[in-house]
Amino acid sequence: MGPPTPFNASDVAEKARRDLLLLLEGIRGKKNLVLEKALAGSLNLLVKFSTLQEYGVDKPFFLENDNVDSSQRNVVFLVRGEKAKTVLAVSNQIKRIRRESQIEHEFSIFWVPRRTLVSDQLLEEAGVLGEASVSEWPMFFVPLADDVLSLELEDAVTDLYLRKDPTSIYLSAKALMLQQQKHGLFPRILGKGDNGKRLADLLIRMRTEVTAGESPSATGPSFLGLTPSSTIDSLIIIDRDVDFPTVLLTQLTYEGLIDEVFNIAANQTEVDSSVVGGTAPQSGQTGSASTSMKRKIMIDPKDYLYSTLGDSNFAIVGNLLNKAARRLQSSTERNQLAAKTTAELREFVAKLPGYQAEQASLKLHTSLAEEIIKYTHTDIFTRSLEVQQNIMSGLDPTTQHENITELINRDVPLPIILRLLCLESTTNAGMRHKDLETFKRAVIQAYGPQHILTLSSLEKMSLLQPRGGSGLGATPAAKPGSVTNYTPLRKSLRLWDDEVNEAEPNDISYTFSGYAPLSVRLIQSIIQKQTLANIIKPPSDPRAAAQANPLAQGLRIFDDASKYVRGATFDETQTGEEKAIKARSMLNGSHNDAAKTIVVFFLGGMTRAEIAALRFIGSKLKEVGGEVRGSRIVICSTNMIRGSGLVGSAIERERFGG
Amino acid sequence: MSKPTANWEKLGDKFYRKVQLYTAVFDQDLELENYNVVGAPYSGAVAIYRDEDKIYTYRGPQASKSSIDIYSCAGKLIRRINWDKGSIKGLGWSEDEKLLVVTEEGTVRCYYDLQGDFVPFTLGHGADEYGVQSCKFYGSGFVALLGNNNLISVSSYAEPRPKLLAIPPSDPIISWSIIPPAYSLSRSVEVILAIGKTLYVVDATEAEDRSFDAGPFRHISVSPRGEFLAFYTDDGKVWVVSGDWSDKLSEYDSRVKTVPKDMQWCGSNAVALAWEDEVHLVGPRGAVTKFYYDAWIHLLPDVDGLRLLTNDVCEYLQKVPDETVDVFRLGSDSPAANLLEASSLLEQKSPKADDLIQLIRSDLAEAVDTCIKAAAHEFNIHWQKSLLRAASFGKSVLDLYSSDDFVETCDTLRVLNAVRFYEIGLPISYDQYRRLTPEKLVERLTNRNEYLLALRVASYLHLPTSHIHGHWAQQKVRVSTDTEEQICSLIVKKLHGKPGISFEEIARAAYDEGRVRLATELLNYEPRAGKQVPLLLNMKEDNIALDKAIESGDTDLIFHVLLHLRKKLPLASFFRVINTRPVATALVESSALDQNRELLKDLYYQDDRRLDGSNLLLSEALAQPSLSASLDKLKLASKYIADSRDAPSVFQRQALDDAAKLLRLQEQFEKDLGPRDGGITSPSSSFIGLSAHETIFQLLRLGHNKRALKVQSEFKIPDKTYAWLRLRALVNARHWNELEEIGKQKKSPIGWEPFFNEVLAAGNTRVASIFVPKCTQLTPAERVEMWTKCGLLVKAGEEAMKAKDRALLEELRVKAGGSAAVEIERMLGMLPAGRR
Repeated sequence: MGPPTPFNASDVAEKARRDLLLLLEGIRGKKNLVLEKALAGSLNLLVKFSTLQEYGVDKPFFLENDNVDSSQRNVVFLVRGEKAKTVLAVSNQIKRIRRESQIEHEFSIFWVPRRTLVSDQLLEEAGVLGEASVSEWPMFFVPLADDVLSLELEDAVTDLYLRKDPTSIYLSAKALMLQQQKHGLFPRILGKGDNGKRLADLLIRMRTEVTAGESPSATGPSFLGLTPSSTIDSLIIIDRDVDFPTVLLTQLTYEGLIDEVFNIAANQTEVDSSVVGGTAPQSGQTGSASTSMKRKIMIDPKDYLYSTLGDSNFAIVGNLLNKAARRLQSSTERNQLAAKTTAELREFVAKLPGYQAEQASLKLHTSLAEEIIKYTHTDIFTRSLEVQQNIMSGLDPTTQHENITELINRDVPLPIILRLLCLESTTNAGMRHKDLETFKRAVIQAYGPQHILTLSSLEKMSLLQPRGGSGLGATPAAKPGSVTNYTPLRKSLRLWDDEVNEAEPNDISYTFSGYAPLSVRLIQSIIQKQTLANIIKPPSDPRAAAQANPLAQGLRIFDDASKYVRGATFDETQTGEEKAIKARSMLNGSHNDAAKTIVVFFLGGMTRAEIAALRFIGSKLKEVGGEVRGSRIVICSTNMIRGSGLVGSAIERERFGG
Repeated sequence: MSKPTANWEKLGDKFYRKVQLYTAVFDQDLELENYNVVGAPYSGAVAIYRDEDKIYTYRGPQASKSSIDIYSCAGKLIRRINWDKGSIKGLGWSEDEKLLVVTEEGTVRCYYDLQGDFVPFTLGHGADEYGVQSCKFYGSGFVALLGNNNLISVSSYAEPRPKLLAIPPSDPIISWSIIPPAYSLSRSVEVILAIGKTLYVVDATEAEDRSFDAGPFRHISVSPRGEFLAFYTDDGKVWVVSGDWSDKLSEYDSRVKTVPKDMQWCGSNAVALAWEDEVHLVGPRGAVTKFYYDAWIHLLPDVDGLRLLTNDVCEYLQKVPDETVDVFRLGSDSPAANLLEASSLLEQKSPKADDLIQLIRSDLAEAVDTCIKAAAHEFNIHWQKSLLRAASFGKSVLDLYSSDDFVETCDTLRVLNAVRFYEIGLPISYDQYRRLTPEKLVERLTNRNEYLLALRVASYLHLPTSHIHGHWAQQKVRVSTDTEEQICSLIVKKLHGKPGISFEEIARAAYDEGRVRLATELLNYEPRAGKQVPLLLNMKEDNIALDKAIESGDTDLIFHVLLHLRKKLPLASFFRVINTRPVATALVESSALDQNRELLKDLYYQDDRRLDGSNLLLSEALAQPSLSASLDKLKLASKYIADSRDAPSVFQRQALDDAAKLLRLQEQFEKDLGPRDGGITSPSSSFIGLSAHETIFQLLRLGHNKRALKVQSEFKIPDKTYAWLRLRALVNARHWNELEEIGKQKKSPIGWEPFFNEVLAAGNTRVASIFVPKCTQLTPAERVEMWTKCGLLVKAGEEAMKAKDRALLEELRVKAGGSAAVEIERMLGMLPAGRR
């Protein structure tokens, strides 16, 4: 048996699950559970509701609704304790129940993922700290798939880029530190971006703090815990503000488009039941929007059919579905006819439930795909995609202004417009001053004066800004490192691929039908140097392709590229005592470099298309057994994100007279 | 050397032994009968205090001062705690040797080390009113019984949260006991109350009558692991019931008239009844053995036995471990006994030794194991040695034997013997040691300030020593009379760079002792920035605290400091502090946005952040319930940046003024035209709040063209945009005639294609088709497509014909049916065939 696999999704899930159930078990009798909406998705992924019921949960309530009743003596709050707002909400509800209820209640608060000083302080001031028993549920990572872990911090983007609140950096560091304590230090931490640098610094600082604060019962494992891991190769941190355009673009993988059209949250999406049919009873007035039911659909990465579809470019999803349908049909039919002996028959019957499940999944995805096709055939979609593709392929962005203006005039939803404007701004180091003012005015006139605030927020997030920073607009060249400059990168990292092959992808550019996401290119320049070097500069002699490309030496591509990318570059090595390293490698056996795990961390969110691209790289690495570094890629992030969410965090929701 | 079985007593078919641990324990003057005595679990310290109900000899004014005295089992006074806080109703120990003192008024003091430092808390729930009657303690908590029969449970001392258990009947309680949460079925503490003739079981949710009628029960005792319950009835009987109440296991009639003063379990197999100087040990099936003393006796129960304490002796009563019985029982012919015999013969150089070994050859490994275990359980060093020697001899004969157990037992015994030494006075048994764990043993030594022994033990057992060093240093800063520099340099020299040392704790100890400068000095050596913060705040080093919090990266800490500062400082100086620290400013901003906008306004004003301030006013304007209030706020927002001349401000002002203008226009329209969509008065049907585009759109929809044009000119909306808005509004309102009118015009600012698309999307193919011929800039193929979309295939055919495109025509033929097909066929015929 080998050493435990680091960042194992099921381990992480199991631990979080056990922790929660243990907490619930500690409260005797039935209880009402009050949880923050933002936690509902994560909870749903980790624990079935029926399990919660087994552990005495009677009714769930949302904190935001402020409607928990006094039907149970025990009231359990499950909330994040980082924000004063939620803490106050909890204390107000405790006070309300105490005031209104006839019986005496037992209050418990489970802070997620940690109990904070501030929460204690606020509860004490409100006079409820003594009333509630307080514990913490250390849930950090929530596994979304076997290789995807997310902290599910809804506010990460707003906090990091709009409000400059580094809470999510600290929580990320905590989460990563816990993994380090279990599996050993990341031997190397590299990456890009100012916040990323802060994260890396925090990790290094925490290491010394953990060593200093080692609990007295330090024996074997924790002594080993802080030596470099022999199973992890490195941690690569990408700060989201290094590469906003990738988020702003429309994702063109199947999963990405489901996300764009229906929104996926914690692997769940809500689809109108008229699209997918199913459980909701079909009333007489189908079609009228108000009565149509929403149906929750689980996007299950373990579903066989979906696992082949999810990361494919949408252009070929139709074909894949077709093929799957035909295969399913032939396998069931032929077997029915050919099942002559009883043994064969039994075998066939045993497989039936599998077929049925597959059939159901096929039906579901066919209807989803049809709905997405409807969406992608709209004029608005094609227009905005055209603008996106033109901007990314390096055309002069001013040529696209007419298109954008027309879209504004046609009153398309604001997020689409903002995505296009921000895309132009972020790929070209800001917009020309005059153009920017024109568009700002247009947006305000078209969508309302409240969006003065929206635009100012976007500028704060440096998504939409005048060229040369927010200064006087006269300085054409921005300070190096303050913006990402796509013009040289397009060439040096080959961000645009004209010969994209969507059916049989040979490069990550398939995920956006041409654009290779910068974030993933940066990662590639670290873990898949050979291949990338050959993509950028195809060798003249194809036979020499294997080794010799001079670009692949060291971190040359990464270093060259990062000059043009915004934010700090960092590359730290974590070493440990020789003795301890030896002990660890003795314990785990010497490890083949190729099988090591590379941890990729997106600070500030990642898109589904990026996951697809990284998985594509991972599968290629596995084929060749890794290029210098390991081959198993684990993708972590503070949260999942899509373009509408990114600009949405800036959009002002209030309006006059409303 | 006396026989090892000399102190054995037979109880039924089991043996019990009474090990004399220490003699001359207490001063003869100490009238132990007038004291309450409680012992900490795992042979820990003993606390005594004078029983206030009893009369005692007057020994002058000095002695009458009440105190709680903590002794080691050997009678060494560890600490005297002077007590003047009223009547003590509960005294007990926790698993980790914290002493709990509960007063009648319901205040609890938790003495967390043996040095007299304590944390107080109160029970509440009416304890002050009704008074605490008595308390029962278990490993990590206790239950207090109040005068009104209410029960209050405290389940943790780290964060004590007294909880009221279910209310039992209010009849007098004769005796009571608790089942600790770890051993109860419900995993929370359960209380057994003897009320009247019956028993009640009380937990957090209910008080259940167990319907007994053999009471009243004078004593209730729960076995150490909760598997058995023992009751002493009024008529002198001892009942033993299984922990789940399902079986009555045995009944013993003591035939004694006086009720014993105490009843305790001795391990899990026997119950000890204690009268003043007499102890009955009752085993299963009513077997009994009696011990007599010549002084008042106290029972101190432990997990695997019972400590008996008189003025003269401290004894340990336990069931003889099976291995020990195996080896030592008279006439035992077990392999282990033979091995021991062989080993002693060997020492006498008798050849019989080998004969014996050969005899037990087949069971030798087992014999060695038994000897090792028996040695571990042995208190007498002589017999420990003999047994280990036997084991060593035995294993030397064996070819293959893992010596791990042997080595470990030797190590353990060395430690046990060291701590059992009377000067230390921890007579811990092997089983207790296993359960307590070596780490906790070291901790107990540390708490007794036995640093040298603690360090020796720790290094002998390869345990971390950081805690010992930390404790030493804290003690040092408290009591040392050296100069502060000397203390600091001594501590730093000894401890710096050692992992696990918390300089924060040492500094805190110094600070609590009033040595502020020493505390500051020491705090600098704390590597964890976060740890320093609370102490720094205590020390009023606010700015340093804030810097350290920021350094730690933990936003919670930063917030914590900020909240503290905000409360303490006047606003201006608060801003001055955060001004130079961007992270702090960001946090203040983001939290104030949710909670305290006024603070934010002040902050922006102070920092001269005009644009942000103006935005804040705008967002307030949005939140106003009435239009006039909104307009006022808008004016303020605009005025806020009136003096700024930079481009963004100018733009902002323009935008704000436009917004106000728009709102006023909308108000006017509202007055003139009444609510939109006539009749339905929902907020969404009002003009107010719409954007400029939406306003034009709605006006056009309702046919108020003049007003729409006014809005266009007011806000300089481009013609193209206006054309689009007009198109969409007309389509939306289904004003086809008007659209047709437009179609007669020569030019359109946006071309004609949008007209075609929008009208077609609305489903009117007839009107849509009007625009097809006007799209002159498109290719014929595209126009053919447009015609086709309108369903006018013949027109499409004509278009293709005009362009002489045969391929297109052929395509159309496939699609067409009926007369159109004939027509297209005709056209095809007219085109010269085969030419492409």
